[in-house]
Amino acid sequence: MSRRAKNVLKELLSTGSGKVGAAFFITLVIISVGVIVAYPANFGLRYWSNPVLWADNPQVAPPSWTNLFNSEKHLETKVFESTGQAERLPEPGAMRIIYRFNLDYAADEAPSFTSLTVQNVSYRDRPPIITVTVQRPDGKSISLYQLIVSGPRPGEQPPFRRYYDTPFRVRLSGEPNVASAVSDFLEQQFSVSISDQDLLVKGVDQAVFGVPDGYGGFMVLKGNYTVRVDALLYNQSDSVGHLKYVMGGSVFGLLGTDTLGRDLSVGLLFGFPVALFIGLVTSVVTTFIGTVTGIVSGYIGGKTDTAIQRASDILANIPLLPILIFLAFIVGQNLFIIILILIAFGWPGLTILIRSMVLQIRSGNLVEATTTLGASKSRIMFRHIFPQTAPFVFAQMIFSTPAAILAEASLSFLGLGDPSLPTWGQILEAGFQNGGVYVGYWWWILPPGLLIVITAMTFVLLALALEPVVNPRLRRVQ
Amino acid sequence: MKAARVLAVRGATLFGVLIASLLLVIVVLGATGVSDRMIGSIVNEQVREMRQSLAQTIRDPDQLEKVVSEQQQHLISFYGLDRPWYTRLPDMVWRVLTLDLGSARTLKSFEGSTRVSDIVLERLPNTIILVTTALVISAVIGLYVGVKLATRVGSRLDRSMSYLSAASYALPTWWVGILLILVLSFQIRLFPFGGIISAPAPQDPLARASDVVWHAALPVATLVVASVGSWAYAVRTMVLNTAQEDFVTAARAKGLPEGVVMRRHIIRVAAPPILTNIVLGLAASLGGAILTETVFNWPGMGRLYFDAIMALDENVIVALTFMFTVLYVLARFVLEVLYIMLDPRVRY
Repeated sequence: MSRRAKNVLKELLSTGSGKVGAAFFITLVIISVGVIVAYPANFGLRYWSNPVLWADNPQVAPPSWTNLFNSEKHLETKVFESTGQAERLPEPGAMRIIYRFNLDYAADEAPSFTSLTVQNVSYRDRPPIITVTVQRPDGKSISLYQLIVSGPRPGEQPPFRRYYDTPFRVRLSGEPNVASAVSDFLEQQFSVSISDQDLLVKGVDQAVFGVPDGYGGFMVLKGNYTVRVDALLYNQSDSVGHLKYVMGGSVFGLLGTDTLGRDLSVGLLFGFPVALFIGLVTSVVTTFIGTVTGIVSGYIGGKTDTAIQRASDILANIPLLPILIFLAFIVGQNLFIIILILIAFGWPGLTILIRSMVLQIRSGNLVEATTTLGASKSRIMFRHIFPQTAPFVFAQMIFSTPAAILAEASLSFLGLGDPSLPTWGQILEAGFQNGGVYVGYWWWILPPGLLIVITAMTFVLLALALEPVVNPRLRRVQ
Repeated sequence: MKAARVLAVRGATLFGVLIASLLLVIVVLGATGVSDRMIGSIVNEQVREMRQSLAQTIRDPDQLEKVVSEQQQHLISFYGLDRPWYTRLPDMVWRVLTLDLGSARTLKSFEGSTRVSDIVLERLPNTIILVTTALVISAVIGLYVGVKLATRVGSRLDRSMSYLSAASYALPTWWVGILLILVLSFQIRLFPFGGIISAPAPQDPLARASDVVWHAALPVATLVVASVGSWAYAVRTMVLNTAQEDFVTAARAKGLPEGVVMRRHIIRVAAPPILTNIVLGLAASLGGAILTETVFNWPGMGRLYFDAIMALDENVIVALTFMFTVLYVLARFVLEVLYIMLDPRVRY
């Protein structure tokens, strides 16, 4: 590390804002590296934009920790999977495998939905039968659902493989058979008669996890429940690969979900490397072009100078956001195109500033001396002039970083973001477009905006700390 | 007349800016084939209408086809669709420069007109109300606070304001708007969610005006919050820079009262860069207005721009991009004139 760079770093860390900024920056980088390592490359298209993957999450659920502030306890989503011990019960000519999912139900509301997912079933003679039974704290039990795996197709040879490519998922709450089973249960156990249709409208789970309140509704029944999933197999070599029972809550995870049930914390984490990438690439390239053109323009002078100055005058004066919106709309919503546009309109401001600095440096003794010694033009420009502008250039680079991040976020907010990967701006836009402001989906709107602000702040703080480096006059008074 | 020459050069540059952004828009439209598609759909629409009306008078199908295809050829050459897009360029530049903005495809003015100029003229005052009010408020606060801070550099107030202005720079305008709506409209229900006037508008002019003010409060506050910090900070830095010049020390040495030093020697000299800041602020709030109006459903030009993008109404997008550039360039020109008025070195 050169002495100059060391000095800049020392200056940077000597102020409060510099320390805070540096700490934030390191945190941002660590999170981004973690995300790049942990996330698949095609996360946006393959995972984030694939509704199937998020089907078992509750929709627009606030974060779980909101329960701490509520007198009424909301249900957290519970996922039970068939890993570990299963009871095996031999029956005449068959084998019954029983999975028991126990839970202590303490929430003040019924589940928002329940679902069963079956994957990787293979059989030889007769199709297996899978049943779901709920055993309630009051000793009663309901046989909710029965799945008979589809039979052999004509010409198909055993073993018959089912649900390997696409898992079989049934939303028990919306299933007519479940409704009729629950309707029968209510009739027999509580002498309450509700038609299947009414039950589907009211919510099947209200009845499964509650008792009739006598006014046509249901009260939540708290206590220990056991959800029992049986698989009846007719051959030794038959198997059921994976079973999943999900009880959808109305709160979810650290940051809640959106209207598709997507875990917002997953998408927001992905936004870290994207935002840093946009900011850093744009500012580095912009600063590079601006510095080179500024030095060339100031040192060479003449027609080159006039040409560069006219071009940057014009580009620097074009109002950025409207043109950015226009270009993103016409040329395409692609992250790289957006970055390219930001660079194309970003460099001229710096060119003009650097040129005025170079004009001063050029008339100084150092340049005069090296010219007399016979140094080439390019050597003078980049070995003697550039180092004198370096601290300023560095500060400008940091200062221009948040502008790029904010510009991308603004574009995304207008619905012109790159659809192939989620960014903070896009998540916020989705929240806004879904009326989040009017119905109060604050967990969908505040975190992405806050992350944008924190990231932009990081660079602003660093730039603030660097100001005395750039403008020694300010140092004199402080 | 040096001033006139300076103005002429700046004017020429700004006109260059205008032409450059116009060319940029048109070349992008042409080179990507969007322009051809636009005109093609206009021609098809007109041919379809023509066929319907001609079918009333011409019974012979062959005859009808012949007349229609003749008319279609006529229209295609009228709109220049048979020539490559770049030969239409001069016409298009001239058309837009003479403010012949064409008509919108799907958007309409509140009165039902599809002419872009009608739509824009209807929206322009709303944007001006919003942006100007916000600019005046932030300028006043920014100047006052900035000068105050410059006199107390290094104090706790100064340092905390530095952080606040950094935060203000890092705050996306639209997010501020959303926050204000969430807190003041959704939680406390103090202000409306958006729009410019209540649904049945009050008849009484005074009630009407106060209703507009009530609706404008949040969007104006948004624009102010998002810009006032960088304002104050810029003013502080400029005043501070000037305060260390030798002539300021000389003025103090002469025994001039601090107030006079500040007004006559510091602020007077620091004024041109501060003015630049005002104008750049104006330009930024123009962009900010696009986002703020979108958030608050404020029927101004920014909201129109957003609607045009959503409706893929190319004519409106082109016209508004042009209008934004014109407004920006005009603001820059006003700044040049003010420079000359404020800085004697430019005048003489």
